[in-house]
Amino acid sequence: MPRPYEAVYVFDSSLEDAAVTEKVDRFHQLLGISGDTKVDHWGRRQLAYPIGAKENGYYVVARFEAEPAGIPEYERALKLDGGVVRYLLTLFEHEVGAPPMTEEELALAKKRSEDDDDDEE
Amino acid sequence: MRRPTKACPFCESRVRFVDYKDERTLGRFITDHGKILPSRLSGVCARHQRQLSTAIKRARYLALLPYTRGLQG
Repeated sequence: MPRPYEAVYVFDSSLEDAAVTEKVDRFHQLLGISGDTKVDHWGRRQLAYPIGAKENGYYVVARFEAEPAGIPEYERALKLDGGVVRYLLTLFEHEVGAPPMTEEELALAKKRSEDDDDDEE
Repeated sequence: MRRPTKACPFCESRVRFVDYKDERTLGRFITDHGKILPSRLSGVCARHQRQLSTAIKRARYLALLPYTRGLQG
């Protein structure tokens, strides 16, 4: 069963934009995923701390659905690729894509946290 | 003594899950040295503080946030 993933890639900022797109496509082909991939290019930005000699990175965020069985091979390719400075693969379920909380849920969450407080004291 | 409760900033803006990619928001919850701000000071509720802590650690790995700053050497 496919699962939703979110990947953030940090590429070497000296790579051409076309080369980055080509690499991302190649990684996604390894997973055998089709067109419903959302790829968001953040572009070049300064790293919060230097990684090796690099001060800048080219950030790409991708969301896709993939079979978990294909993940190890995909991660191996990422690790071997010299152009990838960092990458982070996270499950997208229940995560940041979730709609904002409704009033009801908020009240429930609040009540729960108040109960917790009572336990402490 | 019960200390006065501060409203959780994430609950107020109806955030369901703290986003590790939003370094501007996360940046508000780290100290000048880059440490994670305790919920006692920020007023973040327990659920969001747990998410926030993971989010900051992920953001640090991606070099969106520094591990440390304002220190010599």
